[in-house]
Amino acid sequence: MGEPMRRTHFRLSPSQKERLSQAQERCREAAGSVHASAFVNVGDTILVDYENGFLRGHGTQLVDGQLLATVCGVVERVNKLVSVRPLRARYNPETGDVVVGRITEVAPKRWKVDVNSRQDAQLMLSAVNLPGGIQRRRTATDELNMRDLFTENDLISAEVQTLHQDGSLHLHTRSLKYGKLENGHLVKVAPYLIKRLKQHFHQLKQYGVQLILGCNGYVWISAVPPSSSEMEIDQKPADSESRQPGAGTSEGQNVEITRDLRVRICRIANAVRVLGACGFMIHPDSIVDTYEASLSWGIEPRQMISGEFHVRVVEREAEQRSKKG
Amino acid sequence: MLQSKSFVKKTRHGKVLKVVREHYLRDDIACGTISCTVCDNSKACLSSSSGQIIVFDTNVALHQIGLLENAAVSNVVVLSLVLEEVKNKNIGVYNRLRTICSNPSRNFFVFSNENHRETYIKGLAGESPNDRNDRAIRVASKWYHAHLGPTSKIVLVTDDAENRRRALAEGIVALSVHEYVQTLGNAELLDLIIRTGSEEAQTTGDAEDLRPSKRKVIYPEHKLMSEITSGLHKGIYHQGKLRVNRYNGFEATVSSESIGEEILIQGRMDMNRAFDGDVVAVELLPEDQWQANSLGKIAEDADEDDNEEAVGLVPDVAEAVTDTVAAGRAGRPRGRVIGIIKRNWRQYCGSLDPMLNSGGAGGFVHALFSAADRRIPRIRIQTRQFANLVNKRIIVAVDAWDRTMRYPAGHYVSTIGDIGDRDTESEVILLENDVNNKPFSKQVLDCLPPLPWSLAAEELQNPNRRDLRHIRVFSVDPPGCRDIDDALHCTLRPDGNYEVGVHIADVTNFVLPDTPLDEEASKRGTSVYLVERRIDMLPKPLTEDICSLRADVERLTFSVIWEMTPEAEILSTQFTKAIIKSCAAMSYAEAQARMDDSRLSDPLTVDLRNMNRLAKIMRKRRIDRGALTLASPEVKFEIDSETHDPLDVGMYQIREANQMIEEFMLAANVSVAEKIFGHFSQFSMLRRHPVPTPKMLEPLLLTAAAVAVDLDISSSKALADSLDRAVGGDPYFNKLIRILATRCMTQALYFSSGDLPPPEFHHYGLASPIYTHFTSPIRRYADVVVHRLLAAALGLIKLPAGLRDKALLTTVADNLNYRHRNAQMASRASVELHTLIFFKNRPTDTEARIVRIKSNGLIVFVPKFGIEGPVYLTGKKDTKDESDWIVDEQSQTTVSRDGKYRYKVLDKLVIHIEVVEPQPNRPKLQLTLVEQPNA
Amino acid sequence: MDFISPEGLRLDGRRPLELRQLQAEIGVVEKADGSATFEMGNTKVIAVVYGPREVQSRSQQQHDQALVRCEYSMASFSTGDRRRRGKGDRRATELSLVIRQTMEAAILTNLLPRSQIDIFVQVLQADGGTRACCINAATLALADAGIPMRDIVASCAAGYLNSTPILDLNYLEDSGGGPDLTVALFPKLDKVSLLQMDSKIPLDVFEKVMNLASEGAKAVAQFIREKLMENTKQLVLAKGR
Repeated sequence: MGEPMRRTHFRLSPSQKERLSQAQERCREAAGSVHASAFVNVGDTILVDYENGFLRGHGTQLVDGQLLATVCGVVERVNKLVSVRPLRARYNPETGDVVVGRITEVAPKRWKVDVNSRQDAQLMLSAVNLPGGIQRRRTATDELNMRDLFTENDLISAEVQTLHQDGSLHLHTRSLKYGKLENGHLVKVAPYLIKRLKQHFHQLKQYGVQLILGCNGYVWISAVPPSSSEMEIDQKPADSESRQPGAGTSEGQNVEITRDLRVRICRIANAVRVLGACGFMIHPDSIVDTYEASLSWGIEPRQMISGEFHVRVVEREAEQRSKKG
Repeated sequence: MLQSKSFVKKTRHGKVLKVVREHYLRDDIACGTISCTVCDNSKACLSSSSGQIIVFDTNVALHQIGLLENAAVSNVVVLSLVLEEVKNKNIGVYNRLRTICSNPSRNFFVFSNENHRETYIKGLAGESPNDRNDRAIRVASKWYHAHLGPTSKIVLVTDDAENRRRALAEGIVALSVHEYVQTLGNAELLDLIIRTGSEEAQTTGDAEDLRPSKRKVIYPEHKLMSEITSGLHKGIYHQGKLRVNRYNGFEATVSSESIGEEILIQGRMDMNRAFDGDVVAVELLPEDQWQANSLGKIAEDADEDDNEEAVGLVPDVAEAVTDTVAAGRAGRPRGRVIGIIKRNWRQYCGSLDPMLNSGGAGGFVHALFSAADRRIPRIRIQTRQFANLVNKRIIVAVDAWDRTMRYPAGHYVSTIGDIGDRDTESEVILLENDVNNKPFSKQVLDCLPPLPWSLAAEELQNPNRRDLRHIRVFSVDPPGCRDIDDALHCTLRPDGNYEVGVHIADVTNFVLPDTPLDEEASKRGTSVYLVERRIDMLPKPLTEDICSLRADVERLTFSVIWEMTPEAEILSTQFTKAIIKSCAAMSYAEAQARMDDSRLSDPLTVDLRNMNRLAKIMRKRRIDRGALTLASPEVKFEIDSETHDPLDVGMYQIREANQMIEEFMLAANVSVAEKIFGHFSQFSMLRRHPVPTPKMLEPLLLTAAAVAVDLDISSSKALADSLDRAVGGDPYFNKLIRILATRCMTQALYFSSGDLPPPEFHHYGLASPIYTHFTSPIRRYADVVVHRLLAAALGLIKLPAGLRDKALLTTVADNLNYRHRNAQMASRASVELHTLIFFKNRPTDTEARIVRIKSNGLIVFVPKFGIEGPVYLTGKKDTKDESDWIVDEQSQTTVSRDGKYRYKVLDKLVIHIEVVEPQPNRPKLQLTLVEQPNA
Repeated sequence: MDFISPEGLRLDGRRPLELRQLQAEIGVVEKADGSATFEMGNTKVIAVVYGPREVQSRSQQQHDQALVRCEYSMASFSTGDRRRRGKGDRRATELSLVIRQTMEAAILTNLLPRSQIDIFVQVLQADGGTRACCINAATLALADAGIPMRDIVASCAAGYLNSTPILDLNYLEDSGGGPDLTVALFPKLDKVSLLQMDSKIPLDVFEKVMNLASEGAKAVAQFIREKLMENTKQLVLAKGR
């Protein structure tokens, strides 16, 4: 058997490795809801009912009348659609996804955004909320002042607008909840660990922390903006005082971040990291769960990224799963 | 299961490398016992029920290989560990051990203990490699015991007392070699056991006193290898092969690249225990000790009285002349051996020196063995069977030569036969020249086509084979020749030109590459012609029947056909495989008689005459180009058909018919050489004759100058012309000069064309820019190779893998040169043997010519019998005062003090030849002067 | 030199038709999209895949398929004597090209237009058969990265010494002077993606050696499949639900 976990920055002692593999075993047994034949390797034949017809989805190819998988993963069947979902692939965008991205380039009338996908996404100038909040035609001045809105290396949250045939991806930030992200902590995890939910913006009021779980695996953690209730509304009349760059931002500069808040943000961030490293699904419940566990075990945030904590998290998960199972 | 072997080694350039290797352990290795139910015993040959199963360690293998080869030792487990160690220490012993193992009747099983899961062990910390190996051997023995059950008897044989002790402690039966041999109950075997230093005291030098306490150091020490390498680097030591003077066992030369000339080693101390053929390291002596006397003496070592010049055949190449004379040089560098880099020990034939007190019948006797090869010093051996062996020719191997031992120590290997018995002596000649005369093995004979052989129908249909049975083909060979490999035809075409064909037996049709037959022939390299018999390269059915182009039978050939003008200009050359039917197989005498008889004019005789005419034109052209005609002092024996003793001996007569055949064979060889070189310029098998260096021709020039003959050595043509002009007092004079010229020639050699640039292909003697051997595939392997190359060049066959490899071809060529030289030496030795037998009861007086002047005598050549040897002028046991004779080197004369006798080189003399036996069983020819004042 | 003893064992104790011990690990470099190490005996190779991602030099972008780049290098500590090898090394360039072509044939590049896939292969320990090992490692890394492929590419080397075809030569046997044939094939589709040999051998010998190498590659393919399946299961089951 290979290493229990993907190569991480910590080393496990032999006894820890022992515990880890045992815990992982239990996890796997408990989660035995996936049928064995659903796993395929590249080139494996997929069992299909050829007479009834089927629709060939992603991750498959038809060779000599046989349906073969092109990636390693799990077979998904939805009615007649047969596809193979790979696990660790890059983010596969779908319309309506909330993503967190980083501006890589400022081009004429558009920005290029890195969203951990095959190609960089495009954010058209026409798809952002201009400062001032009004809808108007984009003038040449706007074009020249693009950098005032977003410049290179800025983090933004956006939504996938369209997905073109050739694979190019278009984003939009046409809502106040989208826009530039500041004063927070970005954690990168594998995209497949983030489930598509109704809501991707989560506010953990009890900690004063806001979470954005980007479907592309980028998770943004920051402090809760002061007037959170206002953020529920899509549009807001422009505030002449708040004529700041990126008025559609989720948080203003005015939030003061205390040390305590910082610790909490850090703890949440580490909780996300640990879950990502162990390969567990990331959603607010599991994050909160891990957070609480670390508190109850009296572990400092910086100790959370040690091997010992990882092992304990896995053991805990095993417990929970077997209880459920 | 995977283990890892890692060790650190140092490369030649001094870099340190870490080597890590995988080592897989298996569980499918068989134990090799026939009765075992667990293992796969398809290759099993040990029987656990009968007697004991032996396991021996490396030192036993290395030292007692002779004992292991004896058929009395069987049912043996050879561990792969032992094999590996032996291979690393001594390849020769390893090969012999492998031969025994592959022989199914000996019941030696190779057990791969290093890869067997249960018998592999890791070295413990602090354990030396030797200890680890010993422990592995013990573990393996123990495993065998456990595996085969309590009924089996496993015996560990080792001479290492410590190993035995530990084995016994672990419950393994362990014996020393001596004890083991005693269990076999065969007293003779005890003789085969070598005494090694670890067991008993070494034998010492003097026969009189063998007590260890009296041992004194005789020879200077050999330097350590590290000192030698650093000395070679610095240039104070020189490396080279030792070549001992055939006539003087304590004089040798070392040809070293670091000094242009040869270093002379004189005397027993300076030679310092080195043997002929060893690679030695030499230190030069101070210049004032370098040899001033350039004439050299016929050796007279005061201690040994048998190292004199012997009477033998006339040398035919410069290398055979090994007396260390280099005229005209003030002093040759002298040196002494300070270390031996590589030993060239092998097994030697010879006989034991008789001793006065040979001791009792059962006791050990320290006897001295004298080898037949005069370059080898005497060897001391121990034997219980002295009385039996003293009159026999035996084979002895050398073990060691310590500083304290006057003679090297060796041991007896086997007996050949009685001394003086002609067959025994012939056997000795063959052994000494590494000629394999064992009968062909069954595998080889299985490669032959079934007899009786006749032309198959497929061959007639073969489009690559021309049907030439309608052509008048004939062959001319020595009388009584049964292996006819060449036939010729010469037809007059309607347009006035001639079609001349040389047809050579198609041996490669039957000898296919990579078969046992081919491999055996390749090893043998050539047929060896002794006086009374022939050692064949190929089995008799091939040589005398299937391939031999006898008369009136259809045979397959590989032919060269020329279209020639009446002036013997070649217009076109064709090569083809063919079928012929020879109409006549003549001897040289017959062919000559036919041509000379003007009454005959049948088509065959006309063809012969035409051929002769063409041949003469070709010969003249060749001579104009510069081919040398040197005199061959070959003699021919007439053998009594019953006793096989020589009846008469005479000079070989060359007739026109001989020259005719020779001419066409040469032309065929040249044509084939050009063809194969044109196709395969990188790996053709060719033959070259290097130009002799002026240095080599010096003795000839000196002699010629002394008799007022002017020789021009600027080119072969110049030399040939000046030889033609060298006429002297009597008709034999010219022949003598030619004979002397022959001694200065280099040896012709086979080589691979990819190894040398084209100018080096030149054949000096034939004055041909390119040459090869094609015309005698029945008796020469080189021709077989050339046949295959030619067939590939013509597209008839695919070139076999072995011939495409340049390096392989070079090794083949080297082997052929070695075998060729050995065959020549064996032939000569056989002739000398028969000469001895001839003169045994026939003391004769005959005429002789002086060929060289020495300080205490003359070297004379006897034309009638083709022998050459020394004639002493001063008595042997005289004081070193040689002033009875005054020697003039420049004019090559020696004059007696009283002026009565005067001898000059090439003078005529009368001498007396008889066989004397100064020591029993050592007969030799002696030449003495029949005194005649002539000054 | 005796590469196969008369008892039928090679220098390291294997029989002529036996592969060395295979070991593989997937996911060794967390930052990369896909990574794997592959060991055949003492030969150890690490392959890292980045992509598909945005093409770095706009001029090389292809509108209908992905750009595959490959870089092969040998660590200076990979052989017995430590030797620094430059990137411009002829052998490295050749192998980079060879591996790129082999993998490109396997990747369904037209599903990923305008993107770039980088494969970096580095030899950590070299003991013969590095070419085959590199291809195997690259396959694992690509599968780990979730890049769609026609089939896995499995590769193995074989040779001919002492008149016997031998499978999976190590360094000593490689330097023995006999032919060295590497084959990479798609086991399911039964197609050959790479066939390379250095030396001259007769056709019948070639057939034997090629068949043997193909058999070896199929055995390696089996191993690769097992490893991938194991890895997939691990990830899915860990994720749960």
